[in-house]
Amino acid sequence: MLTSELRNNVLVVHVGEKRVDASKAPLFKDEMTKCIESGQNQLVLDLSGVDFVDSSGLGAIVSCLKRLGPRGNLAIAGAKGAVSRLFTLTRMDKVFTLHDSVDAAVAQLSA
Amino acid sequence: MKIRYILLILTAFLGAALLVAVAVQIRAETLQYQAAQRVEASNAVREPLLLNANALGDERSRTVMLLIGSDDEPGRREDLLAARRRVDETLERAEREITSRQASLRDSARSLSSLEGVKRDLARLRRQADEHLAADPDRRGAEIVPRWFQEATRLIEEVQSFRLTLLQQERPLEPALRAEAVLRTYGGVISESIARNQALLTWALSRPGGVGATEVETVSRNAGRADLAWDLVQGQLNAPLSEPVKAAIAAAQEEYGATLGPLQRTFLAALSGGVRPAIGSDQWYEIAGGALERVAAMQQELLKSSRQRLEGELAAARRSVLLWSGLLLGGIAAVAASILVVRLRVVRPLEELNATMLRLAENDLSAPLPRHARTDEIGEMGDTLRVFKANAIRRQRAQQDKEMLHARLKDAYRQLRRDLEAAAVIQSTMLPPPAILGDVQYRGLFRPSSLIAGDTYNVVRRSDGGVGFFQVDVAGHGAPAAMVSVASHQILSQALLTKSDGMHLEELVERINGDWPEDLPYFTMIVGEIDPRTRRGAIVQAGHPHPLLIRSDGSVEPIGEGGFPVGMVSTVSYERLEFAFGPGDRLLVYSDGLVEAENAAGEQFSEGRLRQLVREHSRGSTTLLLDQVDQTLRNWRGSERLDDDLSVLMLERLNERTNAHAHV
Repeated sequence: MLTSELRNNVLVVHVGEKRVDASKAPLFKDEMTKCIESGQNQLVLDLSGVDFVDSSGLGAIVSCLKRLGPRGNLAIAGAKGAVSRLFTLTRMDKVFTLHDSVDAAVAQLSA
Repeated sequence: MKIRYILLILTAFLGAALLVAVAVQIRAETLQYQAAQRVEASNAVREPLLLNANALGDERSRTVMLLIGSDDEPGRREDLLAARRRVDETLERAEREITSRQASLRDSARSLSSLEGVKRDLARLRRQADEHLAADPDRRGAEIVPRWFQEATRLIEEVQSFRLTLLQQERPLEPALRAEAVLRTYGGVISESIARNQALLTWALSRPGGVGATEVETVSRNAGRADLAWDLVQGQLNAPLSEPVKAAIAAAQEEYGATLGPLQRTFLAALSGGVRPAIGSDQWYEIAGGALERVAAMQQELLKSSRQRLEGELAAARRSVLLWSGLLLGGIAAVAASILVVRLRVVRPLEELNATMLRLAENDLSAPLPRHARTDEIGEMGDTLRVFKANAIRRQRAQQDKEMLHARLKDAYRQLRRDLEAAAVIQSTMLPPPAILGDVQYRGLFRPSSLIAGDTYNVVRRSDGGVGFFQVDVAGHGAPAAMVSVASHQILSQALLTKSDGMHLEELVERINGDWPEDLPYFTMIVGEIDPRTRRGAIVQAGHPHPLLIRSDGSVEPIGEGGFPVGMVSTVSYERLEFAFGPGDRLLVYSDGLVEAENAAGEQFSEGRLRQLVREHSRGSTTLLLDQVDQTLRNWRGSERLDDDLSVLMLERLNERTNAHAHV
């Protein structure tokens, strides 16, 4: 469900699903863990294609951040609508750095 | 048609064909045997007839001797009686043979009547001779002799022709037999010719008047006939005759050629010259008798040889019939054995295999397998069937295992479901029923997506009169979420009840958040309290949807700025939101299962629609409002099922004067 690309030494992970809910969260978490364990510290999670994230999905995203720990950064790009509102409601906009676009996120992380 | 019937029918058909062929051969052999029997029977009758003709010739000669004899030499009559006995014996023998071989002879009745005729004539002739002999010797003349001689000769010819008729009826095919039969006939002719001349010349020589021209001619004719017969005998000697027969013929011929033949010729020469031969009648009689004996010996040898040959042929034909009959019996036995073998080794095993296959096909695994181990095709079929059966039994066991496993799974599922149902009952009892605490009235709506839910809520009244409440939504669904919701329910209820006066609500949340084990799922919640004195309320929003504040005038506004869920990030601070909560004001707290519920098209119900719905019914009672929310959501979903737990808690501050009736 995830595709990734390296841009300026930043791993950009695109989510290929419109929903990240309880049924998709375990797979999302597995694939993200692999990306993190491949040694990448600077990651951008591109949610521009995602319409809906539920509590399980949010838990999975947060667990990735916890796994990355202090050695790296996980930025969120392209969150919009319900996803953006969820991040605001749960104050995750204070935990993650939110960017309007992948480019902006990469620029910020590679700086 | 079934193979086993084809096999049996084929075997039976081939066997029948074989038996028919053998039977046809047996019939041919039997016919041949019967033919041989007929020839043998004919020969057996002809033999005494031949002897009878010879004996008759002898009797004739002796009778003539006595008739012409002037002197009755003693012994001659005894000789005649002996000759007559021989004639009678041969006649009786012929009669016996005909009677005993009636089955093999044609027209035996006529043969017997012919013999009767011969006997009648013979008796008459003997009577005539005896009458004549009984008369006084001096007075009796010899006139009777020629007539008597002629009649006796005619009788002998009758016997001979009877014999030849029998020979014509059953003419032997075998060359030696045929030659012997022909030789006997010639022998008969020779014998009769000699016997006639014996009698004739004896009579002529004894007569004082000498021999007349008629007698000479007759004698000459007889001698010529004998010579011709001897020539014919000579012509038959090329036939495959046995050595004793050839020797007997040669002896007879030699005797005739050496004695009687020349003597006869001398006689004839003398007689035609009118000269009386210088020989007595007795002497002639003896010489002719010697020649006759030789011819008789030849005939006996021929008869013996024919008899032996015929007996041999008959025995061979009988052996042949027996041999073929034996073959027939053997054939029957072989056919019976073939049918038996086909039945035992092919048909019955096939029937057994067939029955077993049919039963196996109908899943009857108790069907018996063929007992015998065989290496042929039927054995291979049996082995194959054994494999089929073993596989079928294995399949059946696997099926039984599967069914057992299925039954166990069903049991386990039923048990699990019972457990869950019990847990659901426990969980629902934790939810407070609608009630009024002080001047706060509340009512909840609770619809789990499965039996047990990650949502929970509670309303408590503290000892100072303050009312605390919370609504929790644990991340995820099912048993883990339900257990965490129970835990959070307990923790929050206790925390609200035991909170000290000076402690702020956000500190309580921060403490719970800080203590929350990292391994457990996080949860969102609204926790709040309503001060009985100040007519104000306060909430902490921890990642939970914004509650709706419904004012007594019907206006609706969402409150809250959001906040971290509990158990997600341990070191964060929370904010408390205070708001006015006067009489008639209501607070609607709900979990995201309400606004995120999707219709068939995948569209979420949304906060906008919820606000719209609440506004429309903001002047209605709490019960009505909750019913409307529930009903609207069911319509939106289009089914009774939910994807996420849904809970709504509504609190209302009552009007002090009408707190017993308002908006319940």
